[in-house]
Amino acid sequence: MFQFLFKYPSPVFTRGRFVLLGSWPAWLLVVLIAAAGGGLALLIRRRLRDAAPKMQSWRAWVIWGLQSTLLALILFLLWEPAMSVSELSSQQNIIAVVVDDSRSMSIADSDGKTREAAALAALEGGLLAELRRRFQTRIYRLGSQLTRVHDLAAPQPIAPVEPATHIGNGLKQLSTETADLPVGAVLLLSDGGENTAVAGGSGISLDAVQALRNRRLPVHTIGFGAEELAHDVEIEDVSVAARVTANARVATTITLMQRGYAGQKATLTVRNGDKTLAAREIELAPNGRLQTEELFFPIGAAGAKRLTFGVEPIAGEENLANNTVTRPILVSDAKRRILYVEGEPRWEYKFIRRAEEDDPTMQVVSMLRTSENKIYRQGISDPSELAEGFPARPEDLFGYSGIIIGSVAADYFKPLQQELLREYVDRRGGGILFLGGREALSDGGWAASSLNDLLPTFLPAGNHNFHRNPATVELTSAGIESPITRLLDDKEKNAERWRKLTYLADYEDAGSPKPGATVLAEMHVGRRSLPLLVTQSYGSGRTAILATGGTWRWQMSEALGDPSHDLFWQQLLRWLVAESPGPVMASMPQRLLMDEGHVQLTAQVRDQEFQPAADAHVAAHIVGPAGVNAMVEMTPSEEAPGLYQAEWTAEEPGAYLAEITAESAGATPQPLGSDVLTFQREDGVAENFHTEQNRALLEQLSAETGGRYWKLSELKNLPRDISYSEAGISVRSAKELWDMPIVFLLLLGLPITEWLLRRKWGVV
Amino acid sequence: MKLSQVALLAAAAGGCCVGLWALQRTADFGFGNDDSPTNVKAEFYWSRLAYSSNMENAGYGGWGHRGWFNSWSRDYPKADRQFLIAMHRLTRIDGRPYEQVVTLDSDEIFNYPWIYAVQVQNWTFTDAEAKRLREYLLKGGFLMVDDFHGTEDWENFMNGMRQVLPDRPVEDLQSGDEIFHTLYDIDDKMQIPGEQYVWTGRTYEKDGYQPKWRAIRDDKGRIIVAICHNMHLGDAWEWADDPNYPETFASMAFRVGLDYIIYGMTH
Repeated sequence: MFQFLFKYPSPVFTRGRFVLLGSWPAWLLVVLIAAAGGGLALLIRRRLRDAAPKMQSWRAWVIWGLQSTLLALILFLLWEPAMSVSELSSQQNIIAVVVDDSRSMSIADSDGKTREAAALAALEGGLLAELRRRFQTRIYRLGSQLTRVHDLAAPQPIAPVEPATHIGNGLKQLSTETADLPVGAVLLLSDGGENTAVAGGSGISLDAVQALRNRRLPVHTIGFGAEELAHDVEIEDVSVAARVTANARVATTITLMQRGYAGQKATLTVRNGDKTLAAREIELAPNGRLQTEELFFPIGAAGAKRLTFGVEPIAGEENLANNTVTRPILVSDAKRRILYVEGEPRWEYKFIRRAEEDDPTMQVVSMLRTSENKIYRQGISDPSELAEGFPARPEDLFGYSGIIIGSVAADYFKPLQQELLREYVDRRGGGILFLGGREALSDGGWAASSLNDLLPTFLPAGNHNFHRNPATVELTSAGIESPITRLLDDKEKNAERWRKLTYLADYEDAGSPKPGATVLAEMHVGRRSLPLLVTQSYGSGRTAILATGGTWRWQMSEALGDPSHDLFWQQLLRWLVAESPGPVMASMPQRLLMDEGHVQLTAQVRDQEFQPAADAHVAAHIVGPAGVNAMVEMTPSEEAPGLYQAEWTAEEPGAYLAEITAESAGATPQPLGSDVLTFQREDGVAENFHTEQNRALLEQLSAETGGRYWKLSELKNLPRDISYSEAGISVRSAKELWDMPIVFLLLLGLPITEWLLRRKWGVV
Repeated sequence: MKLSQVALLAAAAGGCCVGLWALQRTADFGFGNDDSPTNVKAEFYWSRLAYSSNMENAGYGGWGHRGWFNSWSRDYPKADRQFLIAMHRLTRIDGRPYEQVVTLDSDEIFNYPWIYAVQVQNWTFTDAEAKRLREYLLKGGFLMVDDFHGTEDWENFMNGMRQVLPDRPVEDLQSGDEIFHTLYDIDDKMQIPGEQYVWTGRTYEKDGYQPKWRAIRDDKGRIIVAICHNMHLGDAWEWADDPNYPETFASMAFRVGLDYIIYGMTH
């Protein structure tokens, strides 16, 4: 219909450029059209008072509109309008036909045929022959990489066996390999199952799109496969820490999507081999909606683990392979040392120490002022530790991963030590927890100290804000979500548990939270609500206030064996130290390598004072499957001092462990520290996910490159439309528009419409 | 009575119950809301255990810890108060200057994680009391026992102790044990006699010739019951201001008591 009215196919108009072939200037056309319209308006206005009464209204201006349009159209045609469009020269250009042969193309959801069979049938059913009538063709198959084939059949038949689809990389490869060839367009037959695509993302790299754009190479896509499965539950993403401490309760966020099971129950699980670590029943969200669920599980003993996160199969699911994903997790039993400074013997001190004695990954090193001139030390590694009191040198203080400051007045710390505390948080990235107490916070003069900035609250005035009166506790909305305060897995039950916790022995008014601070729990004292647990980030580290010295009653007054007190303290102190960096901090952008083995290792190395160690010797020892055992030297980066990098390739699929060690340079190297990473290469797994046709990706790819997404039913016009391309060897031609049927229809239709209207109004 | 009136009365009664419950939940904090000088709120309360006595069975006609003969109150309250004066002068503990008497009748005892008991050869427990004391100790409470002498007293003490902690062994403490090195390093311990030493010159009572520094530990090796057998620290505190009572004994008693308290507040 379009071509009947407009003479040319739509690509002429969408891809072409409008031009006026007439020799007269375009501005003259605009002026004449305006003059004609204006003249007609004046004429009508002058004759209006003599016209029939019916015409002395809006009807006159309808007539003016019709006559002006007719005049404008005639003037327009006099300027010889045309579309200038590039067309591929016949038989001089190549059309690259790319057929996706990844495993997802073997799904039989195209009228009973597999997607691959439907694609080949489309090509062999006339499309390829029609293309070859106008162009040369080159056929490629696309999986994890692009491979040219000479024919659809033997000797290299296209079959859906490739374990991965990398459309972006494949097209970029095509663009590079055919740089010297007159490729006019790319025709991609695929289900769009790009393995690097995540939910909501395009999945085609900017590099690939830019490479195609540089050559003005349009990608026409033909989509295969159902656009959504009728019955399926798929894990979209799993967010879990790559590194956790032994025996921790680990929080994970699982994102899933389902179709066909809205409102039904499903069971989320976390497994380590055959052992189920946690399971939780959930209600499935409406079809096609991303659903995020939180799950807590005990990680158990130390070691490199490969955990499986999944949803139990539901009867009738079309694809069970997308119900589980695996993640490598490194469980460390390295002890983190926390320095606890307490200004007076009190029960909170005892019960914090007892809670941490049950945590094998944490060691509380404490100094307690028992009398004015005596300090009682516990947990020290050697007699000299803390023998001189609170550390005054960075190398002595920065070795601790966290610090607790109890009922200690600010002036107990010398100015140098106060500055060291600030550096500890700001530059070293450590965590400090301030407790409430007789000489703590405002009652200890902290508001007037230079460390006031460190605190997550604006402390109140005065020094009588600590009270030995009971206070009940309640979680805030942030506290309900926080893993620090999670005593029970179920959020509502956890919030209820906190409400029923026995009251605190004492409390201190910590003031109001600073902007950016988060209040996780509040205390209720009479009708007042005061912040109990407040956290904030400060510099590279973090600080928190627990405005009481009376949580010990949760241990003494709850039932014997109740874990609330110990669990809370273990979780709070783990939070305090979790992000505190060690002297060597290794990282890599992706710990899960999907169908490729390129590994980029980075290590930040610091000396004892936590200054970047620019001249260290850093090496990575990598062990992996099939006896992989490699020693990789890491080289200093030019980007930042203390940063070391290395690149390596994991050839085999499986789990890998990399230990990065650093030692100082010089004749007698001293060890600076080490760190361990775990990563995993998975081949062929991504192909099990997003198995429905990703039409959005194909459409976006076409739109960004100037091509078009085609349905199977529209293919007969493809060989003709594909020729409108600026790539390859093309000729620009002008398609005159004056003889379009629509023009004649308008030339006839406008006066006829005027006449009919006049007849209707009786003013002929 | 109309239904609406019944509902109103029921609502009022319910409100009173909730209010009473809320009051009980917060108002009966063991230290009370009494702000009189004898009830100053503090971190540490010298808590003396008032236990039921078996003296009534021996013909003394006692009425448990409320009876006229109260073996738990030996040296009470002067020993407690003199000790608290020393504690206040020698440590940074925020302690109340007056003692607190605690019983095993209620869960109130869980507010006082350190308790002191004397004449423990006379203590008896009901099953509920024994269970409460066991839970108290296993949760983190600390018990110091003092002033019982000789073989018979030991057996009677252990009868009660086995009811509380049936399977936990009693061990002799060594000089190097941490409990003797928290505030003071006590390596030269001696038998600390009661006030009877002033007029008998004997440091022992009954057949308790040798001082026994003993303890019961929890699963992690922390002392939860400190046992001062064949000695009488309480008398040493009480008679520390008596010119006839040797200063050596009194000083040692104070040092031991302070070490035990610091240990109980740190382990």
